[in-house]
Amino acid sequence: MIGQIIKKQALEFLRNPVQLLLLVGLPIILILILGVALSGFMNGESPVIKVKLAILEQESEEVQLERFADDLGEELPTEAIEEMENILPIERLKQDVLGSEEASKYITLEEISSEDKERVLNDNTYTALIEVPENFSYEILQYWFSAEEKRSSVHLYTNTEHQLGVSIVDGILTQYQDQLTLHSFINEKQIDPVVFEENLQNVTADVSTMGQQRAVSSKDYYTVGMAVMNVLFIASTIGSIAFLEKSTFVFDRIILANVSRWTYFIGILLSGMIFAFLHLLLIFGFAWIVFGVTWPNLFGFTFVTMSFAIAVGGIAVLLTALCYRLNSEVITNFFSSILVSLMALLGGSFFPIGDSSAFISKMGNVTPNGAGMSAYLSILRGNELSDVTNHVVFLLLFGVISIIVAAWSFPKRGAAL
Amino acid sequence: MLELVDLSKKFKQLYAVKNVNMFVERGEIIGLLGPNGAGKSTAISMISSLAEPTSGDVRFHNESILKKPGDFRNIVGVIPQEIALYTDLTADENLQFFGRMYRLKGSTLKNKINEILDLVGLTDRRKDVVKTFSGGMKRRLNIGVALLHDPELLIMDEPTVGIDPQSRNYILETVKRLNKERDMTVIYTSHYMEEVEFLCDRIYIMDHGNLIASGTNEEIKRILSSEKTISIKSDQLNEQFISLIQEHPLVNRVVTTDKEITLMVAKEVSMFVELTKFAEQAGIELTSVHNRTPTLEDVFLHLTGRALRD
Repeated sequence: MIGQIIKKQALEFLRNPVQLLLLVGLPIILILILGVALSGFMNGESPVIKVKLAILEQESEEVQLERFADDLGEELPTEAIEEMENILPIERLKQDVLGSEEASKYITLEEISSEDKERVLNDNTYTALIEVPENFSYEILQYWFSAEEKRSSVHLYTNTEHQLGVSIVDGILTQYQDQLTLHSFINEKQIDPVVFEENLQNVTADVSTMGQQRAVSSKDYYTVGMAVMNVLFIASTIGSIAFLEKSTFVFDRIILANVSRWTYFIGILLSGMIFAFLHLLLIFGFAWIVFGVTWPNLFGFTFVTMSFAIAVGGIAVLLTALCYRLNSEVITNFFSSILVSLMALLGGSFFPIGDSSAFISKMGNVTPNGAGMSAYLSILRGNELSDVTNHVVFLLLFGVISIIVAAWSFPKRGAAL
Repeated sequence: MLELVDLSKKFKQLYAVKNVNMFVERGEIIGLLGPNGAGKSTAISMISSLAEPTSGDVRFHNESILKKPGDFRNIVGVIPQEIALYTDLTADENLQFFGRMYRLKGSTLKNKINEILDLVGLTDRRKDVVKTFSGGMKRRLNIGVALLHDPELLIMDEPTVGIDPQSRNYILETVKRLNKERDMTVIYTSHYMEEVEFLCDRIYIMDHGNLIASGTNEEIKRILSSEKTISIKSDQLNEQFISLIQEHPLVNRVVTTDKEITLMVAKEVSMFVELTKFAEQAGIELTSVHNRTPTLEDVFLHLTGRALRD
């Protein structure tokens, strides 16, 4: 009897190509569009940034160092001169900061003379020009070694059309300035730099990386996002079909055939579970074949899918019961037109909204699709089923509670009156 | 066989059915007449055990069906007013599904489906989905489904609504056949008087939830044995003409539609001269004036003051 109800539901699904297309075709199209369109964003790829930076030194640092040594009025040992050469601020900026391996991937540094300044300022291809005034390094050295405070600063000319590049250069210079200030502080307080470095290392926390976890691509993400969202429409479709059965007295006809309402109820529940399970398998199967979305832990995947299908079955039977109770399809329409979108947004189907706030993340995880999504993504990253127990338990509980509420609200007699 | 005892159904403060008493003997075709909202469908829901009465009882072979609705459901077939079918499924699939609901299977079910399709004249369309059927074909299949388990009692709730005359005749003939050949007892609700006159052995008339008359065709028509009906037709009927008729002391009752006025007068009264005079006064031209013996429709009009299809 229950098998006949499920078979009949399946036939109704299959005979309705528009509905079928919406349930299966739409998520596939969305995965395709979102997965491709947002691949760079989701894969953590940086946009291509090229910063063309010019530096103009009004006076050579070597000349300033020589002058500083002469002005000290005493014979400095060669080692001290060499040490000062190693800490010349502009040279360090050029070599260690702007010329570092990481920075040089996107910063092209060009040293220019005073004659080129005007040209560079008029050339829109340059992101910024750093102009170092005369005596800059001399005054820095004076401050470090003689504690004579003189305000020295470099001038930064920026091209407002290259906002991202300007902010990068600005950030680098600010950070570098902080380091110079720190260095000045160490000298002022006569702290041994070696001891200071060691202490710094002692207080540095361990930074663990997540490098052992598998990266989730945009196609992975949106396959899961669209699947967990669209499978909810299975529940609303079953609810709508069931309400149609009520309004056309087909349900009464079933009751008049002496079929227990619980048989019908279980038929609806199992239809929801089975169709949701098949729907998820279909979407994930398609994504596996076309996009190469593979599951490192098939057991975990299957278990999560089954739990999610139970939750969807629960929603299907709850919607059915509420429609019967209220004698209106308004609840199913509200669910499919508003609630699913809201739950999908909170659950992160459209973009990882949970990353923006811990509260939203928690809210997302108390929606069935959000919990399902978190569980699926975790499995995709290579985690074990035990790592997603909380989500799986939530899905199962959600399903069971929905079934209990549905059973309580289901009409006790026929639906005619 | 079936008895309704003081049957009532109340929704909030409104009685949909109030203290209805009726009986049905085996092999009878009983007509339940009344306009929309008379309480027929509510009564049918209670008779078929789908709705619980507020008070009163439905007894089948002297046992309350409220105590054991399951036993009663095994022998009753209900044809709802709506097309209670899966329109995306074929005729065959619908019969298969409902047959399985009635616990029929294997060759029994197969033979039953063939028999039903033959009875309702849909054998050649058995593989077509129901939504491609005409209204009449859907109605016939709707009847077929209710016959799958060979019910003793068939309850038909306005089974001919919205169908073509050919299908309507087919359905009426089928009901007659079922009654004669299978000794099937039928409760037939309708607001088509001629259907009830053609089919039914006895008639119950309902209005506003109350049973207002019952008896055979002839017994009910005898209610108006001292009256006659005059039917007046005109394309120009106006308020003045209607009020002149209504105010005439010999007119017992008047019912008006767009182009027709029906009035009841004592059998010996002749109104022709007055009617011509009234028409002149109101400035209208009469198309026809007919005297006729009362029909069930007239009885209903007499009893309720409104036409059956109001």
